[in-house]
Amino acid sequence: MRALLAALAFFTILAQPSSGRIETLVLPRALHAGETALLEVKVGVITRGSEIELATTSGRPLGVISPFGIRSGNQAGTYTVPLPADAISNGRVAVQLSLRQGGSQRAPTKEEVKSIRVRIRGTR
Amino acid sequence: MRVTKSGVTRRDFIKTGIAAVGAATLRFGDFAAQNAAKYTRYNVTSEGGKKALASYAKGVEAMLKLPADHPQNWFRNAFIHLMDCPHGNWWFYVWHRGYLGYFEQTIRNLSGDDKFAIPYWDWTTLPQIPDSMFEGVLTPQSKAFEPYTSNLAVFTSFIQPALAAYWKTLDAGQLAQLKTRGYTSLDSVWNDVTGFDPSQSNGISGNISCANTCWSRYLTRDNPKLDKNTAYDVSPFVVYSGLLPTDFYNPETYLSFNSSKTPSHNTAAGRQSFSVLEGLPHNKVHNYIGGVGPLDPGPYGNMTNFLSPVDPIFFLHHSNMDRLWDVWTRKQKRLNLPYLPSGQDLDTLSKEPFLFYVNGKGEYVGTSHAGEYLSTEKFEYDYEPGFGEKVVSGPAAPKARRALPPARGVVKGSAASVTVPTAAVKTHLGAEIAPSLIAEVTLPHPSHSGAREFDVVVGAPPNVKQVSADSPYYAGTIAFFGHMMKMTGPLHDATFAVPLPKTPEAFHGLAAANATVNIRVLPRGLGQKAPVLKAVTIRTR
Repeated sequence: MRALLAALAFFTILAQPSSGRIETLVLPRALHAGETALLEVKVGVITRGSEIELATTSGRPLGVISPFGIRSGNQAGTYTVPLPADAISNGRVAVQLSLRQGGSQRAPTKEEVKSIRVRIRGTR
Repeated sequence: MRVTKSGVTRRDFIKTGIAAVGAATLRFGDFAAQNAAKYTRYNVTSEGGKKALASYAKGVEAMLKLPADHPQNWFRNAFIHLMDCPHGNWWFYVWHRGYLGYFEQTIRNLSGDDKFAIPYWDWTTLPQIPDSMFEGVLTPQSKAFEPYTSNLAVFTSFIQPALAAYWKTLDAGQLAQLKTRGYTSLDSVWNDVTGFDPSQSNGISGNISCANTCWSRYLTRDNPKLDKNTAYDVSPFVVYSGLLPTDFYNPETYLSFNSSKTPSHNTAAGRQSFSVLEGLPHNKVHNYIGGVGPLDPGPYGNMTNFLSPVDPIFFLHHSNMDRLWDVWTRKQKRLNLPYLPSGQDLDTLSKEPFLFYVNGKGEYVGTSHAGEYLSTEKFEYDYEPGFGEKVVSGPAAPKARRALPPARGVVKGSAASVTVPTAAVKTHLGAEIAPSLIAEVTLPHPSHSGAREFDVVVGAPPNVKQVSADSPYYAGTIAFFGHMMKMTGPLHDATFAVPLPKTPEAFHGLAAANATVNIRVLPRGLGQKAPVLKAVTIRTR
């Protein structure tokens, strides 16, 4: 008898390094055939020209969220960022979030990056 | 090879939509019943693209020379975008298709090239501004722009009186849409031009939409390349990920080709969810060309804001975005999947009025609807193939699926050996998009006290007892979740599908006609007991 298991649990472990905020995300379950993992990043109000950089803790880039056409004072919105399989280790991925503006870089606050989670998407 | 058929034909569109939408909603007459497109949008680097650029330059020059009160004036054309463009919602692609389509007609008429079609910039294969886009009027830093954009005062005196006169001609429907956007007067529009924030009674340099000629584009001929961050956002991995969703729209954005569904295409920014392609390559290319990233705190170049069509690269960038929508549409068709929403969703999407377009004759289009632009046939064009076409053709997976029936392995303890044709393994190793060999591993639920996570390894030497994710033998991790302590009754077997690694080290004996694939399941954690497998089967997809 077969049963395919799915679970929705995920959790984050927060840390604050000097130039970024690390969030360790646990995949809700192992990836099945043809599935891909994505990060869903909810960005709050950030200064015009600021960007959110995502990378693994080993420095592998995961993408840059660069809000376009968002009026000052508005939430930047939720962004979907594909997650390479090789960024996942032991069912987890540690994501370093940095807010960059010009030459300066720092950890975004919880208001600036409100949440981040891993989603799994099937394919055909 | 050319794409000989555009993304959505009249017949296909009707097949998808007619059952769900009343005929009055959509102008089916706008979908010409033809298979071959009249115009082809070429890659800017191809011979066809270079020829198109020459006509493009003629057209831009002609638009620059038109008076400010002419609807086809270059800057007036950019104000259509500032006043009406949707971003972060599901009208993003379709609105820009209409905007580009009419603009293409304008260039065709003003350049005298009756075959003109907007070339596209395929940033995935060319992560730098094409050199030719630094020539003459194809850069906003050209001397031809200086009479209009040398500074804010010059720009204001040139364009503002004409816009004020235009504002007085707007009808109630247009004013209502602008109000939704936050524009209650021309002054409020102008605040976005100057970067003035009324809530702070202050100007914000990063919000200035009017870029002076000298800083209108951050990238230069000597420094044309996208930086590493932008190059990543346009990389094959990201673009393929953006093409993979199978729903035109899904409330879960990670499953959606389009961004979020909003009450109107003018709904103010704030809480949208961005699809992969709009949120990453589209946004990042816009911003980086204008200097977001290296510059702080602005002002930035044209491409970072809603007057971005002032930079001629805008239309090549959006031609590529539109091409990717076309690629996605044809992929859906190949898979016999819907490429439009259905039912009420299609009705809502299609009925959205677009009120600000100007056609190739310089006439205001008046009221048109999103449904008219869901097909490329409205403007009779197709694309010279570019990056992403593999998702349409998808040659590897179908061949493998036909060639290989499921191969059941011989199981012994926590290991299995499966015999598969070597050709299937080679196809798998050569697949560029996704693995084609999948192992179905069946094992019993672990006991309450045992290991609940197991690594699947392929072709690993016997002494390999643990692996990390970067091991060439690592295929994936099987994880049992849930409140197992609360489960009652007998524990069942579970089957997991695990794509095999695409590493040569995982496969051996590929010189023979058949190869034996050795699969083992290792418990996570030292001292844990390996499971006794029930079955292992390899399938293709």
